[in-house]
Amino acid sequence: MNALLARATPYLQATPLLLILGFFLAVPILLLLVVSFWDYDFAGIYPDFLTLNYAEALGSWVTWRIYANTLKYAVIVWAITALVGFWVAYFLAFHVRTATMQMVLFLICTVPFLTSNIIRMISWIPVLGRNGLINSGLTGAGIIEQPIEWLLYSDFAVVLAMVHLYTLFMVTPIFNAMMRIDKSLVEAARDAGAKDWQVIWNVVLPLAKPGIAIGTIFVVTLVMADFSTVQVMSGGQSASVALMMRNQMSLLQYPAAAANAIVLLVLVLLMVAGMLRIVDIRKEL
Amino acid sequence: MEREKRSPGFYLLAGFFGLFVLFLYGPLSAVFILSFQGPQGGLTFPLNGVSLRWFQNLFETQAVGDFGASFGRSFALGLMVMAGTVLVSLLAGLAFRRRFVGATPLFYLTVASLVVPSIIVSLGIGVLFQQIGWRPNWFSSGFGAHLTWTLPFGVLIMFAVFNRFSPSYEEAARDLGASNWQTFRHVVLPMIAPSLIGVGLFGFSLSYDEFARTLMTSGSANTLPLEIYGMTTNVTTPVLYALGTVTTLFSFLVILLTLSTILWINRRRVRA
Amino acid sequence: MTAKSDIKSGVSRRNFLKTSAAAAVGAGLGSGVITGFPTIWAQNPITLRQFGTGVSNLNAIAEKCKEDLGITIQMTATDSDAAAQRAVTQPDSYDIADVEYWILKKVFPAGVIQPMDISRLKHYDQIVPLFKTGKLLPDSVIAQGTAPHTVGFVEGPDSRDFAKGETEWFTMVPTIYNADTLGIRPDLVGREISSWADIMDPAFKGKSAIINVPSIGIMDAAMIMEAMGLITYGDKGNMTTEEIDATVDFLIKAKQDGQFRAFWKSFDESVNLMSSGEVVIQSMWSPAVAAVRSKGTACTYQPLKEGYRSWGGGMGLAAHLSGAQLDAAYEYINWYTSGWVGGYLNRQGYYSANMETAKQHMTPDEWGFWIEGKPAQGDILAPDGTVMEKAGAVRDGGSFEERMGKVACWNSVMDEDRYMVRRWNEFIAA
Repeated sequence: MNALLARATPYLQATPLLLILGFFLAVPILLLLVVSFWDYDFAGIYPDFLTLNYAEALGSWVTWRIYANTLKYAVIVWAITALVGFWVAYFLAFHVRTATMQMVLFLICTVPFLTSNIIRMISWIPVLGRNGLINSGLTGAGIIEQPIEWLLYSDFAVVLAMVHLYTLFMVTPIFNAMMRIDKSLVEAARDAGAKDWQVIWNVVLPLAKPGIAIGTIFVVTLVMADFSTVQVMSGGQSASVALMMRNQMSLLQYPAAAANAIVLLVLVLLMVAGMLRIVDIRKEL
Repeated sequence: MEREKRSPGFYLLAGFFGLFVLFLYGPLSAVFILSFQGPQGGLTFPLNGVSLRWFQNLFETQAVGDFGASFGRSFALGLMVMAGTVLVSLLAGLAFRRRFVGATPLFYLTVASLVVPSIIVSLGIGVLFQQIGWRPNWFSSGFGAHLTWTLPFGVLIMFAVFNRFSPSYEEAARDLGASNWQTFRHVVLPMIAPSLIGVGLFGFSLSYDEFARTLMTSGSANTLPLEIYGMTTNVTTPVLYALGTVTTLFSFLVILLTLSTILWINRRRVRA
Repeated sequence: MTAKSDIKSGVSRRNFLKTSAAAAVGAGLGSGVITGFPTIWAQNPITLRQFGTGVSNLNAIAEKCKEDLGITIQMTATDSDAAAQRAVTQPDSYDIADVEYWILKKVFPAGVIQPMDISRLKHYDQIVPLFKTGKLLPDSVIAQGTAPHTVGFVEGPDSRDFAKGETEWFTMVPTIYNADTLGIRPDLVGREISSWADIMDPAFKGKSAIINVPSIGIMDAAMIMEAMGLITYGDKGNMTTEEIDATVDFLIKAKQDGQFRAFWKSFDESVNLMSSGEVVIQSMWSPAVAAVRSKGTACTYQPLKEGYRSWGGGMGLAAHLSGAQLDAAYEYINWYTSGWVGGYLNRQGYYSANMETAKQHMTPDEWGFWIEGKPAQGDILAPDGTVMEKAGAVRDGGSFEERMGKVACWNSVMDEDRYMVRRWNEFIAA
């Protein structure tokens, strides 16, 4: 009896997760998969089995261009957050000496992330605008004569806001991974005469890789699915995949949006699967 | 005890860290300043006088929307999601410590939950509820939608926790004759408590902030992010910034409380 | 009207009493003096859930309704996209849908809104003819696009097809509408603006904006293109694929040349763009212009020779409503159209669809300023009591008839909207 219970335990423990994700994730996605084959026109949606939605989505250069644009954001934001995240985490993990101080500094980084995303995003507008803080500061100081236009409503603004919104998702896992590194390894390397950069390159970086991988998954998926940041910060001048879907959804063209959603989902899953092949995050977390 | 001298690298990195913090707080400071706009002021610079008008306005009835009620919903939902995330992630974390059939697919489902774009989940759940004839509501469909977002984080954190957790403590406890439950209650739980608080806090803040996943699942009533967004369809005033300032201060408070709780738990454990 | 309703739908005596009481009140008592039904609804508390954009989902209306009728209106404000989607995908989540007419063309056929029996609408006769025949005045020309009257009626209570002309079944009761045009910063444009084409002036390169809702943005573009003499549309509101191509290609070119600073999506975005000086000329709503002005920044709602691009919204009854809730919903709509709300909306710079009743709830000076285009005698106050316009001010664009009489097109859903959205996404991606 006890043995049976012991064997059943992990199943029982896993059941809530399975039920929740099954009902709130797997079923809705299946539903979308079905809808993505339906037909629609200006007046309504009709059950059918058409591949036209996919043909339209995949056969148009617009889709590819929008995907390319979204991927561009993903790569740039990833590179910046990874770089920033690594050094911030490195500083916290190896240069800050007491655990309390580490925690305090880390929490200081997390506070802005508790403020509403929307407010955090629109708060950039008065900073970057034509008459915003930066431009008026620079013109006031006589450094520039004309306000810099590309600060706001540009790719620059989109990337900046995304980095601002998503860095924490990179810092946290890297910090976590670094905290697991045995300090004596670093000491040993130093004693063996390794320079700082050698220690970082040969000891810290390889051991922080799982953290970087997880952070990468977070950041890449967040950026790939983003619509509001792109919409607001580019002033509607740039497109992202989710924004394209939203434009379709706003005119109730659900089959088209669903087809796009499935394509996006497959793409992102493939990307993540690729990353998981490099690091088994389950073991290395 | 004399400390080792700081390397130049330290100052460089400290400077970098300082810049990073400045970057994080920079735009928030703009919000902070603008929340003191004069009564005639707008959402952008220049300042049009200085007043506490918008903080006061925060507690008055708005032309559109209702901060109080939507905040209440968001807060309650945040707490629900927090509890749900902690419980389910903890159980799942325990489950994954052992082998079981379907562990790998379940793990991939969890990861998929993280990567499925939010508006897809939102739309899917909204339609699903309508199809089965259930009424979408922030505490049912919205709750589920938020869990699909917080659970992957929670489960991943629990992985990280249990990967580092040495089974020798449990073995020791069992050798001393403790039952499974006693081992869990008196050995495992206290050790992972700070991480659970972390999971909870993470769950709360992710939920409190979630916009896209709530968009199609909140039913007839708005959560705070939706309310803010809805309000931008009418004349908006710096009251939004006042809200931002208040939330940030509130977050500081929560963080401080959490920090002291964790410290307190640690100290107690050290004493024990 | 009341007598007519008795014959047609055979309303119960109780209902009849209620309607006549409301009629007595609507007939001209000042605001706030209402007798009769609070007791009725107080005994049987009813809550109606209404959602729509922040434009008309005003708390003041819900409060006043509670006070007058005892009906609790739970208002939820969303952006217009979310409003349309909730309307269609979650019909159980609302009792009253407050949506725009152009999207109604898609929402109504989904079967989520039940047609209204006009015999139960006390103020139906006073609804401005724009919403019944498409003509503001008998000699007006019907504007292009999804004009409200084209989606305003259906043949019967179960019909999902729009009727050609006026019938007994109304899809939505019109509540709020307006005419959009170019808003300008007179201090920064430095020249006369008289045409939609002026937004493409190279002098405004990087300082102009249009709206970023596909169905509406393309109408802005159409107004501009036609004004520039580049194309003449068969029907701007229902373009052929060739016309869509031409329009989007034109937009893409303008975008790549850097003509636009941004595309605004929500009300406050358009206000911020203007008041922060990011943009000096853009398509704009009348109340948005007023909001910029109330912050002390000069801003003009500029009438243009080609006319306005107009939009309208209304309230529809959710399909699931029945019994007492349906009665309450009718009661609410009758109250809504009985004047107080109309006056309130007019004072915001929008227009009420029941001008006659609204007039009774506005001071002669307010009526003169907002509706007749006369100079204000005294200061014009906003609902919160702050001064909106100083004495002597004249409303841009003039009177109600001058504005709504010059509508060139309505916001639209086109037959080719599938193609249009694809091309619009292309424009955004370009």
